[in-house]
Amino acid sequence: MKATVKEWAVELKNVSKTYRTGPIEVPALRGVSLQIAAGEFAATAGPSGSGKTTLLNIIGGLDRADVGGIWVAGQNLQLLSSGELAHLRLQRIGFVFQTYNLLPVLTALENAEFTLLLQGVPADKRREKVRKLFSEIGLAGLEDRRPAELSGGQQQRVAVARAMVTEPALILADEPTANLDSATAIALLDVMEHLNRVTGTTFIFSTHDPQVMERAHRLIRLRDGQIASDETHERQGARVTARGDAG
Amino acid sequence: MTSALLLVKISWRNLWRNPRGTLLTALALGLGLALLLISLGLLDGGHEQTIADGVRFGPGHVVIQAKGYQDSGSDELLLPVQVVSRIEEFLQTADMKPVVRGVSPRLLATGLLSSSANSAGVRIMGVIPQDEPAVSFIPQRIVEGTYLSSGKPSGVVIGAELARKLEVKIGSRVVLMTQALRQPEIETKNGAGAEMQSTLLRVSGIFHTGLEAVDANIIQLPLPAAQTLLGVPDGQVTQVALLLQQEGESPLVARALRKQLTGAPVEVLTWRESIPMLAQILGLDHAFNYIMNGVIMAMVGLGILNTILMRVLERRYEFGVCKALGLRPRQLAVMVIGESLALTAISLALGLVLGLSVERYFATSGLDLRWIFRTGLPAALVFDPILYSRLSLNRIVWSVSIVFMMATIISFYPALKAARTELPDALKVL
Repeated sequence: MKATVKEWAVELKNVSKTYRTGPIEVPALRGVSLQIAAGEFAATAGPSGSGKTTLLNIIGGLDRADVGGIWVAGQNLQLLSSGELAHLRLQRIGFVFQTYNLLPVLTALENAEFTLLLQGVPADKRREKVRKLFSEIGLAGLEDRRPAELSGGQQQRVAVARAMVTEPALILADEPTANLDSATAIALLDVMEHLNRVTGTTFIFSTHDPQVMERAHRLIRLRDGQIASDETHERQGARVTARGDAG
Repeated sequence: MTSALLLVKISWRNLWRNPRGTLLTALALGLGLALLLISLGLLDGGHEQTIADGVRFGPGHVVIQAKGYQDSGSDELLLPVQVVSRIEEFLQTADMKPVVRGVSPRLLATGLLSSSANSAGVRIMGVIPQDEPAVSFIPQRIVEGTYLSSGKPSGVVIGAELARKLEVKIGSRVVLMTQALRQPEIETKNGAGAEMQSTLLRVSGIFHTGLEAVDANIIQLPLPAAQTLLGVPDGQVTQVALLLQQEGESPLVARALRKQLTGAPVEVLTWRESIPMLAQILGLDHAFNYIMNGVIMAMVGLGILNTILMRVLERRYEFGVCKALGLRPRQLAVMVIGESLALTAISLALGLVLGLSVERYFATSGLDLRWIFRTGLPAALVFDPILYSRLSLNRIVWSVSIVFMMATIISFYPALKAARTELPDALKVL
């Protein structure tokens, strides 16, 4: 599985996906083509049913496209088995979910080191990495707390730490600020933008949140399973490049 | 290895997310094991006891009698004197002596025992007073008076039920009437019928076994008195009953005796052959008990399956997250099986504590079933109504293994369900 286009962290070519429930067919993506460069801080936005969740699922290898090609970190996901997809997710992709999805029986530190453990990283190295990350994102001192003992913002930061700690090439965040108040959402975005800047990790969000859209360096709007617009912001609030409507 | 430890840790902590549910489930499975241990203990104890009672109120572990006696039941079939001597000599050999606990020659017949108040049909056992206690329980169950002795040739011991019926007590005189087994030669030639004989006896002891079949029918008197009454020459008996040190040695001893007595007109039977109905009843009881235990375990198993499955279905979303993060289906399955095994371990500990405690109580104090068996038991089912539990280590290991295996197998289905968590369906978002 060689990378066809090495400079892209993510590349989609003419991707379509239709969900079928009995005789009813619901097209979720219709011939979407897209390239996201390594280190981008991009967001997808659009009304419910526009296909943004399906797009993230397909990029993350959680779902398969009916047709088209998807390359992530140089690998064509359509050609990978489910085991190989699991391996890719573990090694190269981090996920941040809307509802945090920390394992309730593990402490904050154990949750954050979960993926490192699955990768077989030794305990001392794991702890060191997690503690460093925790202090960077303001979680120092909360290592031994269980999720139920953390606020929503703190839980989401632990989720970000879990996604970041393996130093993945790509982080997919599905409406990460949806359950957070405005101040906490801004703080979380600060953390993610900082990590993006420092580590060069590619971030792709799906969002309804105007704050996220404002902070994203690139905003891809979806409508009816197609890309309606694709704009790049040079800096916060300044829209400089419009890639135009894409099919 | 590290991730396996993490999975174990998650499994263990998952158990305690709902401690009450976990404990209730563990208690249900533990109760299943406890019931299994208790019923097996009572079954084995009961069987051991029933066999012991059966042989000690009956013909012993091994019995030697005239050929055809088992089928015909004819009291006229007697062991020849020479055969009795050969048996006694053989049992004194170095090979036999350590395994044989007691030997009792017996002369058996039926008769009518009368007192001044009443009469009753009885089974007469002519026994050697010194030998019989080593084989039979009857001498140990004397509740009034004393057992037979050579010094009291006209003494007789009877059961409490018979004593009540005849309205006799210690020292009472009774008349035993029976048909002679051997006729004077002159009468046989004349074609006359068997001569009725009677003798006056004095009740020297009353026994109480709790078994109506024994207490209402059996009388024992000294062998010489019985031989005289029945016209049997000295040395001839109906059977020689042997009690062995170990019940399990019965087939070996019977085989050795058959070999030793080859050519003699005798039959050598183990208790399974001489009391076949008892052996069948025990076999049937075993089968029934296994079926009952199977049903109990199946019900408990379904309960466990339901609990584990519910736990898995409730956490479908969580499994979806784990899978999204890179946990492989096999690891998810291991996590669920680990959780199930941890639950099983708690259950087994509870079950062992509960089961062995109750079993110990029944092993020492016994389970008193006299209120059930107050009257009439089948003649072949000689049965001490107080059951004492006997549970071997093998049985405990076997029971624990069965429950453990059952719980492990049951956990496979929920584990498979967890492993097959479908992405992205299991995740509501993303």
